[in-house]
Amino acid sequence: MSKLKKRKPNRSRWGDVFVYVVLIVFGWFFMLPLLYAVNSAFKPLDEIFLFPPKLWVSKPTLDNFADLFVLMGKTWVPFSRYIFNTVFITVVGTLGHLLVASMAAYVLSKYKFPGSKAFFTIVVTALMFTPQVMAIPNYLVMTKLGWVNTYWSIIVPAFAAPIGLFLMKQFMEQLPDVLIEAAKVDGAKEVRIYFKIVMPLVKPASLTLSIFSILNLWNTRASNFIYNEELKTLPYALSQIITGGQIARAGVSAAVTLFILIVPLLFFIFAQSSIIETMASSGIKE
Amino acid sequence: MDKEKKQKKQRKQRKPKSMAYRNAVAGYLFTAPFIIGFLLFLLVPLMQSLRMAFSDVKFEGGIAYYFVKFANFKYIFTVDPEFVPFMINELIQMAYTVPSIIIFSFFIAIVLNQEFKGRGLVRAIFFLPVILSSGVLIGLETNNTLMQGLKDVIAESSNATSITDTVKSMFLSEGTYIGPIQYVFDAVDRVYEIAMASGIQIIIFLSGLQTISASMFEAAKIEGATAWETFWKITFPMVSSLILVNVIYSIIDFFVRSDNEVMTHIKNTMTASIEYGRSSAMAWTYFAVIAVIITVTSALISKRVYYYD
Repeated sequence: MSKLKKRKPNRSRWGDVFVYVVLIVFGWFFMLPLLYAVNSAFKPLDEIFLFPPKLWVSKPTLDNFADLFVLMGKTWVPFSRYIFNTVFITVVGTLGHLLVASMAAYVLSKYKFPGSKAFFTIVVTALMFTPQVMAIPNYLVMTKLGWVNTYWSIIVPAFAAPIGLFLMKQFMEQLPDVLIEAAKVDGAKEVRIYFKIVMPLVKPASLTLSIFSILNLWNTRASNFIYNEELKTLPYALSQIITGGQIARAGVSAAVTLFILIVPLLFFIFAQSSIIETMASSGIKE
Repeated sequence: MDKEKKQKKQRKQRKPKSMAYRNAVAGYLFTAPFIIGFLLFLLVPLMQSLRMAFSDVKFEGGIAYYFVKFANFKYIFTVDPEFVPFMINELIQMAYTVPSIIIFSFFIAIVLNQEFKGRGLVRAIFFLPVILSSGVLIGLETNNTLMQGLKDVIAESSNATSITDTVKSMFLSEGTYIGPIQYVFDAVDRVYEIAMASGIQIIIFLSGLQTISASMFEAAKIEGATAWETFWKITFPMVSSLILVNVIYSIIDFFVRSDNEVMTHIKNTMTASIEYGRSSAMAWTYFAVIAVIITVTSALISKRVYYYD
């Protein structure tokens, strides 16, 4: 009895060593880009142009950030407007995508109806198409809808991104049919089953999907569809600041990178802790 | 005659709506928003680009299409010196990279699923490359001294290449045949690239691993299964559907990444030489090749996928 208790993480001491060695080696690999980005943001100009470049900063400075804020103050439109645009696009786009994609994924994985299979095949096929080539046809569609120069030109296409449907369907197929049947027997309608049973159970999947979507939308430059300065996104504004021309902006560009990384990173840290929470309490796969 | 008809009508009215009918209604209603968006923003543009592939596209005030049959395709295969070699090169690289990504990300996901201190932080670290590689840095490529510097730093601080070179020369001096091992060497040489490309795959595997209920492992343990057996009989089958997802995702991700030679070529044909017809023809050829590869691989894998019921 006591022996069983002692070996709670089912692993030997060498297993422990192995896990930590793997984590440290690969963790270091994965950390490198961020470490470099952070360090570069604090590097004075001469260190940025040092060749071969060094990972660690030797004389840290806040000049890059000071420059960045000065440049931000000089933009045509108040800088907060750009931030608002990107936040708005990201939030609405992600929520909409989550709802639209998971609703479709739910019926595609749990209901048989004419055309469901064919539809899913088409969606997955569309996933493979090279997006660049669609830039012009897409623009034509937006013009016809009159959505050029509106938020909708970015938000609404994000709703129907095929990757989300694909991901959600694959997760929802793992839900036992019994759960849904039981709810039906108890008299629940589809909408209720979807909100009360399916969605809570696939929370890890929806968080994964949100991460995809947030990354995608947060980084949208949208220079194709939006010409109105007041509606431009944050990455666009920042890249305009950087490409202002002078070499001196290299330092600012490092600061910008750090600035724009923070939001997706924070969301991920938050999402990943709640992924663990949900899994502890859900009745999936039992 | 009339009576019969009436009876039929009555029977129809009395009959409660069938399960299949209700399923279909629910199905169409739930998928409707997605279908509309999909048609409008993917299918319509797709069809338009297909039309471009078969046309000579001219800008005369508006866009004018002149139907030219297969001239664009003929051009890219017979005249264009770069398209075909680029594509073959990409295919070979894909064959190397995707299996390595799958094995690597599965391995890391299993390690990350273990109990250890600071798990949340470590998982966040392993997700970093996804955040870093997507969009931001690529979007800022106009001033990309940062990325270039990063590559140099990595080359300097990780001595992966020199390690494999040493081992390789050891093998060569022994006179051993290194054919199959060559693959491993290549994978090790490119471990950094592989690691950077597997962020999303790790997350997908990880969330799959977490949906396996603990009671299953407990039962297996009580029955006396070893860790090895548990892995192959429980863990592996339970995430097998996600292997399929990840293989497809990795293949697509590999082919449509923006620093891909073929993609760059397509883009240059479109923006630099303003040949929309040719560039669309290339995109469709490329698309067809990817579609064939994915159909074949997913057919091979999905036979072995296990769905829990």
